[in-house]
Amino acid sequence: MSHHDKPAGKKSEGWEPKIVAIVCNWCTYAGADLAGISRIQYPPNVRIIRLPCTGRINPFYIVKALQAGADGVLVSGCHPGECHYLTGNLSARRKFATLKSFLNYIGLEDGRATFTWVSASEGERFAQVIKGVTERVRALGPATKLVKKLRDVDVAAAK
Amino acid sequence: MEKVEKKLREEAKKLLAEKKVDVIVGYEAGTLPLTATPVFITTPEEADKLVWNSFCQHNLAKYVHDLIMANRDSQKRLKPEDRKRKVVGVVTKGCTSRSLVIHLQERQYERLDTVILGVPCTGYMDRKKLAAKLGGEDILEGSLDGANLKIKTASGEKTIALKEVLAENCLTCRINNPVISDAMMGEPAPAMDTAAEYAGVDEFEKLTPEERWAYFKKEMAKCIRCAACRQACPSCYCKVCFAEQSMPQWVGISEDPSDTQVFQFMRMFHMVGRCVDCGSCISVCPMGVDLRKFLKKLDKDCVTLFSQRAGEKIDFPAPLQDQRMDDKEEFIYSPGGGH
Repeated sequence: MSHHDKPAGKKSEGWEPKIVAIVCNWCTYAGADLAGISRIQYPPNVRIIRLPCTGRINPFYIVKALQAGADGVLVSGCHPGECHYLTGNLSARRKFATLKSFLNYIGLEDGRATFTWVSASEGERFAQVIKGVTERVRALGPATKLVKKLRDVDVAAAK
Repeated sequence: MEKVEKKLREEAKKLLAEKKVDVIVGYEAGTLPLTATPVFITTPEEADKLVWNSFCQHNLAKYVHDLIMANRDSQKRLKPEDRKRKVVGVVTKGCTSRSLVIHLQERQYERLDTVILGVPCTGYMDRKKLAAKLGGEDILEGSLDGANLKIKTASGEKTIALKEVLAENCLTCRINNPVISDAMMGEPAPAMDTAAEYAGVDEFEKLTPEERWAYFKKEMAKCIRCAACRQACPSCYCKVCFAEQSMPQWVGISEDPSDTQVFQFMRMFHMVGRCVDCGSCISVCPMGVDLRKFLKKLDKDCVTLFSQRAGEKIDFPAPLQDQRMDDKEEFIYSPGGGH
């Protein structure tokens, strides 16, 4: 079990946070597109996964991402009241309010899972969100909790 | 309690004789002293087996779901007009009724499929607590005498106050009388100590994240993933559980601690607005994992965020079935603060 307790120390040298962003097709993905078209710079630490709607996100996606080694997970969709499917993001909001609270309760750091809204016209906000989340995760250091360590990989890396 | 038991037997006999139910799920005296075990009664003669006492611990809603689903599956190949409804009578205390409400909210079966025999509940005895009190000695004989348990073990006779060995969830139970019933057996039971309902959660929240993580890790390290908690839980009724799915494989099967942590985390998270705090999972856990510390948090969040308790109201959607424009969203991140 000891490999789970490894302090961030050595590993954090030259370490870059890996952030998985799960975004909705209609607002945030379009917002990300706008940020790109407008040539707004934002940190390259984020891997975007596009889904039809935040209501489509199984909370398991977030937990699995953390287990698979993401240092942070970002979920972003349309602002409440602007959902392409009318209420998808409202359902999501209830799910994620409890999920975030429960993740914090078991002892995960507050900044590991982030939820926000970015609309299709908010390219600037998208860049700011990514910047902010990256900074927060960077300050926390590499994720150690809930992370699955593949022993073989660990052993190979040690050699 | 004898009065409740008498009325329960009479009612059960009547329902079976009039063929208003096909089966009654209730409790009978267990084979060991100070126990009760679920029983399935199909004839009026058997109704005298029914008991109602402080050892009736199981949440029988689980069996109601199982019976109705089994009946439905067995008639899959019949024409719809030839299918027969199986009406299940069920002895129902507060937590059982809430589980039934959850099944109904989730459209698992219809209200007509059940006849609910409500019983007032003053809590059940926690066998693990009693065993600890007796130092693990076998109970040779035992009886309930008013508010005290009279127990005979190899080392002599002992008297233990029932209140001292009541289950934790019963001590602070808010809804100990059924929220829905077709017939109520006796007067409603007095409320328990609801003020202390979230005391354990409040205390845990005050710890630092590191301390909480250390506790979570320690508890989950005990888990052997036998899935007894899931089998006993009335809210866990999926035909294929996420834990056994292989496409995608949500939960790994390695011995890595994170696989167990993720399994437990997700099983518990499925209980948002669905955990009625009946204590089934805790009582069946062979390793004594402190699941309640975490499950109760979900209940507290439901109350603070959505002002709802699991299975409390039948004519109201469940917390995660519902949504409001003005739901709280303090957790939403906003770069630079504000919205």
